[in-house]
Formats: sequence, structure tokens, C-alpha cells
Amino acid sequence: MKRATFILSRFGQTLLVLLVVATLLFLIFRLMPGNPLVAYLDPTFTEEMAQTLRRQFGLDQPLHLQYVAYLRNVLRGEFGNSFFTREPVNEVIWSVLPNTMLLTLASLVLAYVVGVLGGALLAARRGSWIEHWGIPAVLATRAAPEFWVGMLALAIFSFSLNWFPFGGATSPGSVFSSMWAQIFSLDFLHHLALPALTLALYLQGLPTLLMRNSMLEVMDEDFITFCRMRGLPEHTIVLRHAARNALLPVVTAFALGIGYSIGGNVIIETVFSWPGLGRTLVRAVAAKDYPVAQAAFLMIAVVMIGMNFVADLFYSLLDPRVSHERR
Amino acid sequence: MARGWLRIVVVTLALALVFGTMASGQSPDRRVRELILLTRPQAVDPREFETARFVAPEFEKLGVKVTVRVMPWEQMADYVWYSRDKWDMTMWQMVGRPERSDPDEFAMNLFHSSTAVNGYNFVGYQNGTYNNIAEAQRIKTDLKTRQQLVREAQKIIARDVPYVFLVFPESAYAYNNTVWDAKTVVEQTGLGIKNFWTFDQARPLGNQRDMILNTNDPLQAINPLFISGAADSWVTELIWDRLFRVGPDGLPKPWAAEKADWVDSVTLDVTLRRGMKWHDGRPVTADDVIFSYTAPLGDEVPMYKPFVRNIEKIEKRSDTVIRFVLREPYAPFLIASLSKLNIIPKHIWEPVLADLARKPENAESYQEATPIGSGPFKFVQWKKSEEVVLEAVPDHFAAPKMRRWILRIIPNVEAALGGLRQGQINFLGNYSGDPQLLDKLVKENRSLTLVSTMDVGMRFLAFNLRRPPFDNVAFRQALNMATNKKAIRSVVYKGYAAIADSFVSPALEFWYNPELPKWEYNIRAARDQLAKAGFEWDREGRLLYPAGKTETLK
Repeated sequence: MKRATFILSRFGQTLLVLLVVATLLFLIFRLMPGNPLVAYLDPTFTEEMAQTLRRQFGLDQPLHLQYVAYLRNVLRGEFGNSFFTREPVNEVIWSVLPNTMLLTLASLVLAYVVGVLGGALLAARRGSWIEHWGIPAVLATRAAPEFWVGMLALAIFSFSLNWFPFGGATSPGSVFSSMWAQIFSLDFLHHLALPALTLALYLQGLPTLLMRNSMLEVMDEDFITFCRMRGLPEHTIVLRHAARNALLPVVTAFALGIGYSIGGNVIIETVFSWPGLGRTLVRAVAAKDYPVAQAAFLMIAVVMIGMNFVADLFYSLLDPRVSHERR
Repeated sequence: MARGWLRIVVVTLALALVFGTMASGQSPDRRVRELILLTRPQAVDPREFETARFVAPEFEKLGVKVTVRVMPWEQMADYVWYSRDKWDMTMWQMVGRPERSDPDEFAMNLFHSSTAVNGYNFVGYQNGTYNNIAEAQRIKTDLKTRQQLVREAQKIIARDVPYVFLVFPESAYAYNNTVWDAKTVVEQTGLGIKNFWTFDQARPLGNQRDMILNTNDPLQAINPLFISGAADSWVTELIWDRLFRVGPDGLPKPWAAEKADWVDSVTLDVTLRRGMKWHDGRPVTADDVIFSYTAPLGDEVPMYKPFVRNIEKIEKRSDTVIRFVLREPYAPFLIASLSKLNIIPKHIWEPVLADLARKPENAESYQEATPIGSGPFKFVQWKKSEEVVLEAVPDHFAAPKMRRWILRIIPNVEAALGGLRQGQINFLGNYSGDPQLLDKLVKENRSLTLVSTMDVGMRFLAFNLRRPPFDNVAFRQALNMATNKKAIRSVVYKGYAAIADSFVSPALEFWYNPELPKWEYNIRAARDQLAKAGFEWDREGRLLYPAGKTETLK
């Protein structure tokens, strides 16, 4: 009963937050200085064309009517047409979303697998040369600017060694029967490797350090001492007992990482000319393409807030104290 | 206005900013207020930004205070365009396009009074004599007379200084000369080697028969009835034929038309080439051509409407002869209309337009799954944000020598250079980075050839003639003399530009007037010019308006 009330109230809050986000998104683009029509300025541009465009974009309506229409459309999952490509916004986003998801998921998984193992190793070898060199290395890769690492990776692995292509998601002129055929092709994987590795290198800092700290805490707990007293081999203690318990915060970070990753990574996408959502989003904001920008940000917000909601639910199941906190 | 209150807030804020800074530098006397120069941010256009920072202190040598204000393009253009009496000076540019090889577009739209209210004459230049000459040049079909008029127009503008013309930048493109036969790469006047003629004629030397080129600009649409992004036009002009095309020399050249004869000053008979076919196999007919020129007259194709508005009627004289009758004589018709409009298949677009007429959308929002044209290349695929692939049409009357034309969208310009060096792209179709870097790369690689061409597009600084002190021609001339164009060319453009003194590029030798008044950089002469016009300086050296003149701003 209490849990149901908790879930309901959290759900209510989530909806409220979404409404606020949707409203802010609507206002923020219209309050920013600038005008979507300026993209069409040309010596042959006439006032008649400007009127036509304003009508088409719905900008001739009073702001409150625009807002009502916007909310009504959002509820139906309709975001209108892009001001610039004139296609439905859903198509604009869907044409690049799979690329973004694949890139970010591949690097997230890679980063977390390497990070968890590496973090466990750093904790287990506390005070050794591994920790002595490992921590600065992790911090350095986390702090290095992505565009710099990306350009270095291009210079070495693409332009000098010629192992990987320098940009795009597929080879020039390659034709695939479907999106799935493209995603599962070796060509796609070949193009994915360099950006995914670069992004993973950047992402692994968080899980590595998180895992290490969490491990160090767990290693101090009584049950580990008890394991030692039982005479269990060290690797069994580290992997079976300590690592499992230390994993919880890392799993949470992973879940939130997925939430963040949906927005794509503008820098990696630009450096590697990866056709993803991040670039689409930046272009939409720069060009005042309200419909695309609104829809993309709203989608990111929905996923982020949704992931938080899921995390809340998850916690209330795992740790019943969470739902009693108000008392 | 729909966004009324919003606009009021924004404009009030902008005004507060402008007046706020003005109040600080203004005293109730005759002092010229602080002047604001607008420019785009350094990150967006480093050369424009640097030029603005370079000229401001030079202008200050005349005793005015100049502040450079940085704005994103959307904001700057909105302000200049829709708040016409609010700004002082702005940096601006016109880019080169094939149809701009005819001076009419700039001569009319940039400076004619009729476009001062809400067209491209955002500087508010008003000159009755100029208007007459600009109008006359477009109706004189005799080339020699027209040349005289265009040169006269340039002289008036050079004297009246609504703009400080800065430079015509050079556009540099490079290609791999082991893949493409250098003799078949065509340099077009004022545009460079990246043009229709190169794409149509470049001959592969070996097994690599695909041209792989880059753009950093994502495509918006592949639509014959929508003038959209810059890269889009490279694609549309390959898929769709036009009656004429702007030739490598900048003059109109018959293309899908075999020939065109002026019957009188308003009547043109166009003979259509025989045997042309749409990419779906159906023949191209005179009806298709007539349809292509009448469709924009409705409300579904707003962007092409201005180019057909002057056509009174179109008659089919025979299966191949089409007669255009114009409302008024219009000399640039072959370039401005016949080389501009795409010929589209009636059997595809007629039902589409009829359907769109019942909907709020127009033809600009219609994207064909497989665009069908009659041009030398046909559409294969378009992967959004990644690439466009076209394939040569072997039975076209000007069949390309290459097999495929592949345009890769590469936002990372430095990576594009790497790709060119290493062969992943073989034609550098777009490069906005440091020109010296490209120069160095080409010098180190014998397989690369670089071709730099003076642009028909130009960079300039525009004055708002509606506002004092810019309403005073002597003041504008003085600022022109205080602009060190030679230094801008060598410091900001690193030599990759030609000094500009007109809206017509010297690349267009026929139209350019070589005898324009030269406003050499000379601060002393500039100050003399101001003194002659009655300006004075106060004790602190600040410029004062001529006696009796007070500053009134709207």
C-alpha cells in the first residue's frame, strides 16, 4: 500500500516535471534572439515569401495559440515538420537515432566492462605499482578533451596506419537492403570501431573509479574479513564476494549513462562525421529549427526523467527504506 | 505580428543596450555618438570577425568611437533585416553562385530603392539616377549598351559608398590528379573548379571511377522546386536539366535548349533538344517544359515564383519550339530564369501539386522517394547526414565520364584534408579551414592539385544610410578611405583574396568597371574629406557634426 502511494506520487511528479520541461522548451527557443526566416534571406527574397513561410511555420499565430497547438501535438507524439528539411520531425530523428544509440551503447558497454574489471583490479592491488600508474592514467584519459583524442586517433589509426575509415557510418556508395542489414554489416562495424573506442576511453573513467572506491569500502566490511577467516582464496573473495556487492552503484551509473547517451555526443559525432542525433540537434538549435530542437530535447528529457523514475522504483524494491523516507 | 509582445521585449532589450551604450558616450552637443559595428562570432567566421576588429580602431582615428558587437548570425540578420532603422554598421557577405555571373541580381536587389522597405537593400540606399540605370540595364538586350549601364551603375555606387567593399575571397578546391584527368577539370569564372562542368566532364584515369567529394553542410532537401541549402543545389543541378546553364565563362549556354532566338525584345523562341529522356524512361516533351515554367506561378512553389513572374505567356509552337512572351523586356532572362529553373516531369509533379493544393503544405515539403529528372546523373540514394550517391546516365546527351558521384557529409574539415591526402576522398569540394594548411598539403603531395579562383561573391561592411552620420556621403567616403584593404587582404585573408571596389567581381571582366574611383587608404585624406564637409573636432579629438546639424534617431 505504502509502496503504491510512493510509486503514484513519483509518477505524478514525473508528469509534472515533463510538463514544465515541455513548456520551457517551447519558450526558450522563441525567447532566444533570432528568427528562423533569416536562413532564407537572399537578394531574391520577398516579403510575400516571408509571409508564406511564417504562415507555414505557424509563426503568424499568437504565442498562446502556438503553445496550445504545441502541447496538443506533443500529447499525440506529433512534432510537425522541420522548418528546414520540411520533413516530419519524427523522420528526421529516426533517421539518425539508431546510429547514435549504437555508438553510445557500444562505448558504454565497453567502458563499463573494462571499468568494472579495471576498478576491481585497482582496488585489489591497492598500493601496488598498478594503482600507482593506473589512477593517473584513468584520470588523464577522462580529462583529455575528446576532440583532441579523436583527432589523434584519426591521425594514427586512419591517416597513418590506414586501419580505419576517417568518417561516416558506411563506405562511400555502399547500398544496404535495410537499416538492419546495414547495422549488422562488417562495414558498419569497421566504421563504428574508432569513434566507439574513443568515446569508451572517455567514458571508462567514471565506472573505473566508482568501482574502485566502492570495492575499497566493501573490502573493509566484516563479511570479507569473515571470508578471509574461512580461508577462501583471494580471487574468490575479490570476484565472488566483494565485486558483486560493490557493483550496485556502478549499475545505477550505467542506467543513468544510458539516459545521457540518448542525446548523442556532438564532439565525437563531429570529429568522426558520424551521422547521429547530436549533430542534428546542434544544427537545429543553431538554425532555429524549433520543431526538431523541441522534439529532440523533449525526447532526451523523457528518457532521462523516465530512467530516474525507473531507478527510483528499482531502489524502492531493493532497499525498502527508500519508500519510507518521508516519515 | 504574431510574436508581437515577444518582439517588443526583444527590441526593447536591444534598444536598451544600444541606447545605454550611446548615453555613456553622448553629450548634448554635436558629438557623433558611439557607433556600433555588428559581426558574427569568431568561431563562426574568423575572417569576418578579425576584419571588424581590424577596421574599428582605424575608424576611431577619425575621431569617432566604434564598438564591435558580436552576434550569432540568426540574431544579427534578424536585427539588420527587421529593425531597419536601429543598427549602424554591419559586416556582411554575398556568396558566389552561377546565376550571379550576371550583375543584374546584385545591381537591382542590393541598391534599388524598391527593395529598401523589406528587400535586400537593407542599407536604405536611395538614388533616383541609380534606379533608372539599374532598371535600364535589365531591359537593354544589346550587350554593349548593357555593359555601359552596368559600369555606370558601379561608378555611382563607388562614389556613394553605401558599402565599404572589402575583398573578393579566393575559393580554393583541390583534387587527386592520379584519379582525375587534369585536362578535364573545368575552372568556371568566379566559382572555381567545383562546378557542374567538372562533374559532367571529369575523366577518370584509372579504376577509381567514382568521384568522392566532401561538404560540411548537411543537405536539406533534394527537390527541384525548393531553393534550399548550398550543397543541395550541387545535387539538383546534376539530376535535373535546365534549358540553359551558366557556362564556364559565366555566360548562358544552351543546354536542354538547342537554341533560343529573340523574336523581339519580349518574345523568345526556345528550341528544345530532341531525344531527351526522364530517368524513368519517358520522353521529355515541350509540355514538360511549359509545365515547369507555369507551375511556379501558383502558390505551391513560392521560391521560384519571382523568376517566372515576368512571363506573360508560354506557347507551344511545335513539338520542339516553345515561345516565351515576357511582360517587360528582361535582358538577364537566359541566366536569371532559363538557367535557374529545373525542368521537371509533368507526369510526376502535376498530380503532386494538385494534391498539395488541397493541403496547407506546398511543394517545398514534398520529398520524392526517388527523385526523377532528365539530367546527366540519376539519383541512387541519400543517407541523411552521411552521403548522397548519384549515378551517371550513359545515354544522356552529355553523359558523364565518371561512374558515380558521391557526396560525403564531413563536418570535420581537417579530417577531410586527411581523407584527401590518403585517398578516401578524391575531390575536396569544401574547405573552410586555414588556406595555408591546404597549400602546404598540396605542395607535399604531388598527386594533389589545388586550384584557387577569385570569387564572384564578396565581403563588405554595410552602413545604415537611414541613420546619421551615415546619411552623409562625405562621412561614408571618409570611412572608406580609413579602411586599409591591402592590410585586410594580406593579414586576415593571408593573400587569398582580391581587393574589392565594386559589387561586380573583376573575375567578370565583361561587366566589371576597371575605372572606378580608387579610395586609397589615407587617414589624413579621410579627415580632410570630413573637414571639407563641415565636420569638426572638439578638444578631446571627438568628431562633431557640421554646425547646425543635430543627431535625431528614430
